[in-house]
Amino acid sequence: MMQIKPILAALKRHKAGTVLIALQIALTLAIVCNALFIIRQRTEHLSRPTGLTESNLLAVSNRWVGADGKATESLTETDLAALRQQAGVADATMINSYPLRGGGWSLGADTKPSDKDNVRRPTAQTTLYFTDEHALSTMGLKLVGGRNFRPEEVRWVDPRDFETNVPVIVSQALATKLYPDGHALGKPVYLSSTKPATIIGIVERLQVPWTGNWAANFAENSVLLPFLLQGNFGNYLVRTRPGEMARMTKAVPALLFKTNRMRVIPEERGVRTFAEVREQAYKSDRGMAILMGVVCAVLLAITAAGIVGLTSFWVGQRRKQIGVRRALGATRHDILSYFLTENLLIGAGGVIVGAALAIGMNLWLVSHFEMERLSLAYVAVGVIALLLLGQGAVLAPAMKASRVPPVEATRSV
Amino acid sequence: MLKMTHLSKVYRTEVVETYALRDFNIDVKEGEFVAVTGPSGSGKTTFLTIAGLLETFTGGHYHLDGIEVSQLNDNARSKIRNEKIGFIFQAFNLIPDLNVYDNVEVPLRYRGMKGAERKQRIMDALERVGLASRAKHYPAELSGGQQQRVAIARALAGSPRLLLADEPTGNLDTQMARGVMELLEEIHREGATIVMVTHDPELAARAQRNVHIIDGQVVDLSEEPRFHAQNARVADA
Repeated sequence: MMQIKPILAALKRHKAGTVLIALQIALTLAIVCNALFIIRQRTEHLSRPTGLTESNLLAVSNRWVGADGKATESLTETDLAALRQQAGVADATMINSYPLRGGGWSLGADTKPSDKDNVRRPTAQTTLYFTDEHALSTMGLKLVGGRNFRPEEVRWVDPRDFETNVPVIVSQALATKLYPDGHALGKPVYLSSTKPATIIGIVERLQVPWTGNWAANFAENSVLLPFLLQGNFGNYLVRTRPGEMARMTKAVPALLFKTNRMRVIPEERGVRTFAEVREQAYKSDRGMAILMGVVCAVLLAITAAGIVGLTSFWVGQRRKQIGVRRALGATRHDILSYFLTENLLIGAGGVIVGAALAIGMNLWLVSHFEMERLSLAYVAVGVIALLLLGQGAVLAPAMKASRVPPVEATRSV
Repeated sequence: MLKMTHLSKVYRTEVVETYALRDFNIDVKEGEFVAVTGPSGSGKTTFLTIAGLLETFTGGHYHLDGIEVSQLNDNARSKIRNEKIGFIFQAFNLIPDLNVYDNVEVPLRYRGMKGAERKQRIMDALERVGLASRAKHYPAELSGGQQQRVAIARALAGSPRLLLADEPTGNLDTQMARGVMELLEEIHREGATIVMVTHDPELAARAQRNVHIIDGQVVDLSEEPRFHAQNARVADA
């Protein structure tokens, strides 16, 4: 500590190198803090529960060939009956989409009807899952209130023309959003219609099909409607019995083709275990996290190399000066401490600017890319990490400096 | 104050051993002003670096202010350099990044001296060399003579028991050299022990005692006619 004043005085005489390295530390801190924050957000998604019991669950994508509209009703019912009769199948359902699939329906949900001009913002955004009374058991959803659909409540509808004044099951998140007092059961929910649906059941959790940031605000707002959609495209979810997953992955498409060959089940992504669905849904997030992690590591390595380079250069440049200091009574520890303190002062300047930059950069990202606010804990950890990195990087050249002998003072350059 | 007995310094390489000092004996009493002379490569600077604990020696004994220094570790040697020895180098060796005040302060900081005492000592030392008004100047803003005066102030500020000067006027013109020499004489008159290595017979003649080194050994001046003649010329002038 006793050396701070002369070190500062000396640094003032080496402004260019000092400012450049401090700036490098500042930029590294700002970028690494924000990158790690984004990585944390991305990786948090990776393990986010969907609400489904994901083990022993198969997703099958089916497209009819030569049949559409009402004609698909009987074809689908035949498929579902065949699937449910399989010994290795616990249950099966048809659904327009499912969590992590990437595509589906979303609209506004409200406790009151829209006004005439439809200008009022709905209370909540939600996704719609069109399915039947087998959905809860097939998907492994946990019913925390109310009841399941009854078979007689389920009907086929034309996706272009239907009314939503039916019993619905909602996720707990949506129920709480619509009715914060906790009494959603039996209450109405308006789904872009003047006729309300009635909440008959609440499931603990049910994620929407999308994983992107745009859906983050309603990630668990879901409505199950007792409708099966006519049309040439649909998804089957199949719950296999324990230990039957591998066999059923092959047996299910074979069974479906045996039932009716006039269909397309894509080779790629046609039949997927839910583990594969999850893996593919978060592939870009995982890739982004890895990329950002690598960028952070490279940036930190470049900063450390910059510190090593500059300090080594300064040690070489000041070799005689170090010898003079040793001749005047400096111990090796004094010289080591000189360079560590010098680096700490430059680093401190860098991290102060860097912390401000990190927060500023985050505010810009928040305003432009729907990011969350950066936790100050990230900045604090980043500051400590950068200072430690600096001290670690400077250690080798500082040790080298401390080994300069005092007799160096008498040598001519 | 400074006593070397049968001291040797050997530089070894894989194929050759070079004796920089061999059976070297010298005894400098407290308060003496000794000039050390000798031709280039005779071992003058090696003697000075060993005397100033800047280098270790190979054999023999060296007592400094009553302490046998051969067994001291690096930290202890640093402490002695800091507290007992003041250095004046031919190239001044001021730290270019620090102003005059901060340069003089360097050894005092390593001593762990309190700020108020440091300030007092620095200003006293600068007053003494006539440069108190230049305290905020950087070395590059001073003449060679002024820089050497700052170096002397730095050496004096710690109140050392021994001043070691290596060609203190070697980089100065005649007028500046005279000024620096007068300053050293004044410091000596006040009781300091000074050992000065020099090539200059005129400066050597102004010391109380001359020690001549040839081939790493102290020689008796009476057996060196050339040196005797040079001294005579200096005396005639």
